[in-house]
Amino acid sequence: MSVTQHDVIIIGAGVAGLTAGAVLAEKGCNVALVAKGEPTACLSTGCIDICSLDHEPLHGIGHLPEEHPYHLVARAVIREAVDRFGKITDEMGLPYVGSLETNRRILAALGTFKNTCLVPSTMAAAPQDEKDDLHIITFSGLKDFYPSYIIARRGNASFSTYEAGADTTMGLAANFERHDFLEKFILWLEKIKIPENKIAFPAVLGLESAARIAQKIESSVGKKIFEIPTIPPSMPGRRLFNVLKDYFRKKGGVIYWSWPVSGVEKAKNIVEAVITPSDGRPQSLNAKAFILASGSFVGGGLHARRDTIVENIFNLPVFVPGKRDDWFDSDYFALNHGIGKAGIIADSSFRPKEAPWENVFVCGGILAHTEVLKNGCGHGLALATGHAAAASCLEYIK
Amino acid sequence: MIKTDVIIIGGGATGCGIARDLALRGIPHCLIEKGDFAAGATGACHGLLHSGGRYVVSDPQAAKECYEENIILRNIGEKCVEQTGGLFVRLPGDSKLYRDRFLKSCEKLGIPTEIISSTKALELVPNLNPEIEEAVKVPDCSIDPFRLCMLNIVSSQKRNGIIFIRHKVTEIIKEHGRCVGVKAADQVSGERREIRGNIIINATGAWSHMVAQLAGNEVPLTLSKGSLVITNHRLTNMVLNRMRPSADGDIIVPNEAVCLAGTTSLAVEDPDKIRIESHEVDTIISEAGKMVPHFNDTRVIRAFSGVRPLLKSAKADSREITRGFQIINHGDGMYSIVGGKLTTFRLMAEKMVDTVMDHFHLKKTCETAAIPLEGQEELSGYPLAKRLSNMKNIVCECELVSRAEVERIIKQTGTCYVGDISHRTRLGMGPCQGGFCTFRALGIMHEKNLLSPEQSMYALRDFLQRRFRGIRYCLWGDQLREEQLVEYIYLGILAMERKQ
Repeated sequence: MSVTQHDVIIIGAGVAGLTAGAVLAEKGCNVALVAKGEPTACLSTGCIDICSLDHEPLHGIGHLPEEHPYHLVARAVIREAVDRFGKITDEMGLPYVGSLETNRRILAALGTFKNTCLVPSTMAAAPQDEKDDLHIITFSGLKDFYPSYIIARRGNASFSTYEAGADTTMGLAANFERHDFLEKFILWLEKIKIPENKIAFPAVLGLESAARIAQKIESSVGKKIFEIPTIPPSMPGRRLFNVLKDYFRKKGGVIYWSWPVSGVEKAKNIVEAVITPSDGRPQSLNAKAFILASGSFVGGGLHARRDTIVENIFNLPVFVPGKRDDWFDSDYFALNHGIGKAGIIADSSFRPKEAPWENVFVCGGILAHTEVLKNGCGHGLALATGHAAAASCLEYIK
Repeated sequence: MIKTDVIIIGGGATGCGIARDLALRGIPHCLIEKGDFAAGATGACHGLLHSGGRYVVSDPQAAKECYEENIILRNIGEKCVEQTGGLFVRLPGDSKLYRDRFLKSCEKLGIPTEIISSTKALELVPNLNPEIEEAVKVPDCSIDPFRLCMLNIVSSQKRNGIIFIRHKVTEIIKEHGRCVGVKAADQVSGERREIRGNIIINATGAWSHMVAQLAGNEVPLTLSKGSLVITNHRLTNMVLNRMRPSADGDIIVPNEAVCLAGTTSLAVEDPDKIRIESHEVDTIISEAGKMVPHFNDTRVIRAFSGVRPLLKSAKADSREITRGFQIINHGDGMYSIVGGKLTTFRLMAEKMVDTVMDHFHLKKTCETAAIPLEGQEELSGYPLAKRLSNMKNIVCECELVSRAEVERIIKQTGTCYVGDISHRTRLGMGPCQGGFCTFRALGIMHEKNLLSPEQSMYALRDFLQRRFRGIRYCLWGDQLREEQLVEYIYLGILAMERKQ
């Protein structure tokens, strides 16, 4: 078994893990991140929901139940985490707009509005009410976007279809990254006379250079354009993941990609290493501290058995919301499914409660009582707790 | 007002079978179904075309009927029957005495059996429990109940049969003490229709006492709920039965890409108010797991319940009630047909139509056993080869349903229900249970201007709520994970409106 030593090992490459990683790397820590695969951020809209319950996100947080993990993070730290996120995404060429003071809306693919807080610049021009008239561009054969949903809801919208030679969001995004494709597309767009003020696209405008591509289209046709998030695979989600990942690496962070954690080595109340079975032989990744940011069920951090819910890496105690029958409400739309509360309960230092480990920290979706969908707080909570857990971890290793 | 000779209420296998039989004998008829075809017990069963083995010890008459019909359906319904063969598996501790009685009864009834060693059985079904003592091979098959109904309806439609689905009979019109017609309400538009006929056949299964009541008649029924689970892949290529008297979770049936396992048997009062209990799901899994150990760690994608309409009996255990059927002549022009099995639906229809012919003093004999089901060559999406030939623009990745296929069904039926497309193509029946493809199918309907925004939101809500009812009791492991993702897609990314 080969042994590698780091200061801190983070498990999970989602928004929480990469945020924690960036904080530590910036402070000069030797930090590595182990990820078994792509994070759920890649499935997301790419927008940062802080708390959608109230028009003012911070006000909304104030009204969350007292066990909600947001209450473990000071307001100042939430602000700091959001500011840093803004700086990172600006620096990496994927600027976000919006502020902690007020939520904004994006247009969803069903023609409805979705409340969120920070949005990538490619969604900044999304209408905030029914007034704006829209022209929607779609691509022939694209199976994950139907402008008719939106048109049926808005009297003031129409659409045109472009033959792009690809029928998936991934394929289209790859096409838009090609200079010749983009030029040809812009020529076509200039030719169709669009009477409406704004042009909507499914979120396929490139993967690496979306902000630049959107800007180029905007300046060519002289109209505001914006993207509408699609069902997974989601390009804006992937872009978000890419910039956070690239930033982490830029600051000296190491990523062990496609390495699932298969075991831990421990002594007394200290975890000494995590083991991964990669590259045909086991690797021991040793560190002074570990941050668990492996996500909830979709991310794979939590696993539901028929009778209980477990966390498989450190075998941490999990808050299980009652018996299996209690995990789900019979009304699907109640947004009150008990399962949303499942997870790891952390103390104020982001250590898992009732676990023996003094050098393990947890953050992000794996935390208990998040109720992400009900509260509209996914990536926001990941930013805030990732930031705070890293600070706590830093204090410990010093 | 529509005039016909025979009015059939109920679009399950029995009702559809009666429509076909009447059509082939040249009798004008009209079938009225309150939901979609196969919406009741027909669509909520194993899809097992019994060899008779299951009933051979407890109910030889029903077993004999099953075997005879099994042979007929294999002949006439090549495309909706998969000739899997079946095994009765004897596990350590299962009574040898039962096995001896089983073999003796089969011999007496002429049901072919073959005793198979455990080694040979494991060759046939490698997932079988290696501890089994032995197995007995019988000619069980798997059958697609929805397709079966559709094919029976084809014969009726070809001969001017009138079919109303999503029409609920609200009134039975009586004049001078005789039933002369019905009033039915279109469940979508609310439009009311009056249909007049000389005979009314009540083939509404678990609802037949309620329909009979509309004419002031009574049907003595015992309702028995049976629950089943579906796995995300095929664990066996043969039907598996436990060699013991009927009990919970002792049948596993392969069907297309999945397996169905069940059932349970619990008395219920109201067929519209049934729900699955978690313990039923756990029981089925652990019992099926005794025959196929791998069942315990296989992903269960859905659980559902159906209600068996059994003839009223003093017997406390509904498993002991005969699976035979009965035609009740209410004496006022209404007949109710109750009991029976999916396997014997054709025989039930034959006997029912014989009664009708007697009533009309007509002679033409039944031909449904000899003529193959019509329309089998056009079965949509069924052969894998056909699905694979249209890999461009797949709308449902789990079941390989193409956009062209969805468009064809929309064009053919004008439907604004995702369920209609599912039943005809298997769209949404795979592991994600419609999580992705429903958005697409409704999007395509939107493109065809079939839906208003309110309708599509309603359809989505309705679909997700129904889907959830099916998966609610199978949520752990990967299925829970998938469910969380789907919830996030619809309520998060797509910002679905929750309340109207």
